[in-house]
Amino acid sequence: MHIAITLADNKGLESSISPIFGRCPFYMLIDPESKEFKIEENPAQSASGGAGVKASQWMIDNEVAAVISGNLGPKAHDVLSSAKIPAFKFQNGSIEETLKAYNDNELESFFEPNVDAHSGIQE
Amino acid sequence: MIITIASGKGGTGKTTIATNLAWTIAHAQEAEKKVTTWLIDCDVEEPNAALFVHPTFEKEKKVERLLPVINQDQCTSSGVCVDVCEYNALAIAGGKTLFFKELCHACGSCVLNCPEGAIHETSEKIGLLQMGSSDSLQFAHGILEIGWSSPTPVIRDLKKWVIPQQTQSDSTYILDASPGTACPVVESFRGADFALLVTEPTPFGLHDLVLVAELIFKEFKIPSGIVINKSGRGDEIIEQFASEKNIPILMRVPLSRDIAEAYARGKLLVEAFPQYKDQFIALHKKIGEMIRERQPKQ
Repeated sequence: MHIAITLADNKGLESSISPIFGRCPFYMLIDPESKEFKIEENPAQSASGGAGVKASQWMIDNEVAAVISGNLGPKAHDVLSSAKIPAFKFQNGSIEETLKAYNDNELESFFEPNVDAHSGIQE
Repeated sequence: MIITIASGKGGTGKTTIATNLAWTIAHAQEAEKKVTTWLIDCDVEEPNAALFVHPTFEKEKKVERLLPVINQDQCTSSGVCVDVCEYNALAIAGGKTLFFKELCHACGSCVLNCPEGAIHETSEKIGLLQMGSSDSLQFAHGILEIGWSSPTPVIRDLKKWVIPQQTQSDSTYILDASPGTACPVVESFRGADFALLVTEPTPFGLHDLVLVAELIFKEFKIPSGIVINKSGRGDEIIEQFASEKNIPILMRVPLSRDIAEAYARGKLLVEAFPQYKDQFIALHKKIGEMIRERQPKQ
């Protein structure tokens, strides 16, 4: 079982978590218990459109159990919730701290999108 | 003769030049019993040329696109449609295929490639075309449906509807393009004989003029000329660019409160200040000469 975390860079467990879902450069797929992880490039990062949809499809195809991201747009929210993949809001802190908060059920859930479509483009 | 008017930057006066040029030559040609002049407003996101020429519309046509409809009972979640969609408008989630209309470019790939034949198409209105006349000026424009984000197909249909494939060489078509240099402007230039670039003597005006001039130079290779609107202070920056690129400055309209007031009342420049008629006739003549110079010698 692994969950996905949006990353701004690729520095292993020292990576910074990205606030952007669809167009962040990397995703970490990590087992929240064993902390075994791998980092993959986001295939949707430079999509001409529909990055949130494409990234969500990637999450489904990679069978992630949950997603942690700073923001989540309306289309990504639709796709993830249709696939019953819960999404949680990253507050701040390191990957270790975020995983601990996830394991302790302290992360806020995205019951609805928190940003408009195309918000990832402005960053 | 097809003249497309563009600027890059919005608010430089494309519509002012397009409406006055079209109006003036339509009336001049009527006097000489010559052929028709068309004004075609290609800024389908905010068509406003009609506000100045007050056409009476006689014909209308809907613009439609074919969008996919997924039969969820037949769908086996193969994911083929998701893979072939270049625009990420489809996703398979929770055993269902989700479709995001606003991302769809109506290319039909999903319909062609679905292994189960579970996708068919239905047409949806994305815009309206209107055609009519105002005195001797023929007029047409397109209106993009609210909520649609892609104006290009509306412009394509508008041009196809109004301009015959085999253009009669003596009709004049004046196309008012939208701001910017992206797909809608490219579509407005397709098939044009001349690019008339309207600018203002400001750093913003120059910046976007450079972009649109580059587009013409790289993609269309048609003759072009510049009109400086709101001219009088800072013209040097435009003059310098024009002389570097060898693009002639064909006309100047001064920055003037009187002109701005007439515009704000919805008046044509040539109605409020008839002395400009000669300048627009001279502009048209010069454009005609430049097009003929560029044509290969028989």
